[in-house]
Amino acid sequence: MDFDDTPEEAEYRAGVRRALEEHAAELLHVGAGEETVDAATAEAELRRTQRVLYEAGLVGVTWPREHGGRGGTLVQQAIVQQELARARIPALVNHIGLGMCGPTVIAHGSDDQRRRYLPRLLRADDVWCQLFSEPAAGSDLAALRTTAVRDGDDWVVNGQKVWTTLAHVADHGILLARTDPQRPKHAGLTMFVVDMHAPGVTVRPLRQMIGSAGFNEVFFDDVRIPDSERLGEPGEGWRVALTTLMNERVAIGGAGSDLGVPVETLVAHARQRLPQLDHDRQVLARQAVGRAVVASLATRYTGYRRFTELSRGGVPGPEASAGKLAGTAAAKLVADAGVRLLGDDAVYAATAEGDETWQRSQGFLPGLAIAGGTDQVLRNILGERVLGLPPEPRSDKSAPFAGGAR
Amino acid sequence: MNFDLGPDQRDAAAGARDFYRGSASPTAAREALEGGAVAPGRKALADIGFLGITVPESAGGAGGSLLDLAVVAEQGGAVLAGPSLATAARAAVLVAGAPHLAAQLADGSAAVAVVDGPLPGSSPSVDAAGATLFLGLDDDGALVVGEGEATPGRPLDATRGLASVRLTSRRVLAEDAGQLWARARQVAAVVLAAEDLGAADAAVQMAVGYAQQREAFGRRIGSYQAVKHMLVDAWVGVDQLRSLVWWAAWAADAAPEELPLAASAAKAHAAEVLERAAEACVQVHGGIGFTWEHDAHLYWRRAKVDRLLLGDAAEHLDAVARLAVAGALG
Repeated sequence: MDFDDTPEEAEYRAGVRRALEEHAAELLHVGAGEETVDAATAEAELRRTQRVLYEAGLVGVTWPREHGGRGGTLVQQAIVQQELARARIPALVNHIGLGMCGPTVIAHGSDDQRRRYLPRLLRADDVWCQLFSEPAAGSDLAALRTTAVRDGDDWVVNGQKVWTTLAHVADHGILLARTDPQRPKHAGLTMFVVDMHAPGVTVRPLRQMIGSAGFNEVFFDDVRIPDSERLGEPGEGWRVALTTLMNERVAIGGAGSDLGVPVETLVAHARQRLPQLDHDRQVLARQAVGRAVVASLATRYTGYRRFTELSRGGVPGPEASAGKLAGTAAAKLVADAGVRLLGDDAVYAATAEGDETWQRSQGFLPGLAIAGGTDQVLRNILGERVLGLPPEPRSDKSAPFAGGAR
Repeated sequence: MNFDLGPDQRDAAAGARDFYRGSASPTAAREALEGGAVAPGRKALADIGFLGITVPESAGGAGGSLLDLAVVAEQGGAVLAGPSLATAARAAVLVAGAPHLAAQLADGSAAVAVVDGPLPGSSPSVDAAGATLFLGLDDDGALVVGEGEATPGRPLDATRGLASVRLTSRRVLAEDAGQLWARARQVAAVVLAAEDLGAADAAVQMAVGYAQQREAFGRRIGSYQAVKHMLVDAWVGVDQLRSLVWWAAWAADAAPEELPLAASAAKAHAAEVLERAAEACVQVHGGIGFTWEHDAHLYWRRAKVDRLLLGDAAEHLDAVARLAVAGALG
């Protein structure tokens, strides 16, 4: 048992660090306390940053070389993630394309699609989004109602998607649509690549509860998609979507990195704020900080165990859902302790000095408990696939979707 | 990075599981509440070598690491075994400078307990009932050893052998032993957390097994999300506790500067994880889980006692916060 890099890992890490230092002037960095950058305001810089990183060999680390990747290991990918975070480089503009859309195209696309899309995705020449959720289909994704109807060599798409991250800057998306309402809900779906600049696609940014505009609703009015842009066979869309969702779980589940504000940031905050509190308040605040640190470390070291399994060639199993579930809970404890330590400033959206770190995290985390598998869906997955508990009986799985079995 | 047990530790855990399953059980824990002996008892633990896992080979021990001991302790916790290996591990740290005492600890010829003062009295101390030789820290910061009289209270969990002690004799083993004493207590907290890990895992498994079988309102109760999610939360806690226990046990030998933070994190988490698992176990079983004959309450008793031993969660959370703010997270 040890927590050090192997000689090969250390060498790889040193190379990543060298590359990041060499190209530092061309890369976008975020300041202390900032986690992400608004894609709408910094789109050009974000695209350039990803291109520079790609050319330095740090994007698509685990993708096959034939598709423009580096053919590397999950361990190398994790090292790159750690070093990008350490260098304070914000999330790549194409993180959804890299984490979810690209792997889906690799697994289910035609040779022509792979050739046309993957190199441009890796270089951030094109930004991608994932068009899955709808107003009436969130956790119950297979209840979606957006339709695609065959018309000659095309499919004609009508409907609405929602909570679509990056749609306002995206060039392409993967779209899950209902192509056969006479079949049961999971069997009547088909996956497509859609051109976000095509006639009939309308993107409307949605304002999130903390005020920023990170996601969108997307309307499809008689949008034509050539049949050659299908991913997988008609009616196979659910199976294709599971590829995407499995990759999403790995992308969010993390290998030992904190979701939300890093716990070290909370500790530094406490170091500064604790002495300003009276004795009784210090006692209470240390309980909250201690609880947040324990939860964060428990999640981090559990991530290290999963990481060890992956580094031996294991595949991510349903246990990865526990990483996101516990990581979200830990992040909430960290954010809550951080907010409480603000004292009188805790009731405002920013401190007198203008620091929004803790309020932004507090306001972001309710979304994290919903996106990429709600806490409740994750508990169902863990209960059924890890603990072997029986599923709830369902009436919606076998009857035709059009017959009302939704 | 390699955050996993090695093959030797896996073998040791498997062997310990067989030994403990054959020599201790929740049934034995119930009998201990009714006046029976704690199982497997000191002699059996000494004979199989578990009391000397961290005692040097030169003193008749196995010269193993705390992680070697923790994976064994987890198996003892699963069947509510006693005495606690936390006592052996704590004593082994304290008598490192007294090989003859270490040898007596390892071979069981002395029934050793460690008492938390103020001497000559003590607060309720683990495995003090039935012990004949006591280790303590006196007011001057000296490590002392002596004989004494142990007075147990009416047991909530008889397997812990709790008793208050009054020393009738004592001699100084080492002056200025405050740091040694603190390290020994951290080591004991890690081992207690390892035993709690085993107990919590067993309680969750028991509850899951029942939820897979028991039917109500026409279906198995594990299919209801109210039950399923409670069990998942308990299981996630166990999975995370395993990570903290391994890290803390590894740190004791490989990264001693990390031990205080890791030990307190593991102990604080263990207190809450075992309590949650044991309470869920009683709840999922319904009425049968609330009976004397069922095993659920024995895990519940272990939870309600262990959470307060060697520092409660409030003490350890406070320690975690102080250590982190002082720079222990790096």
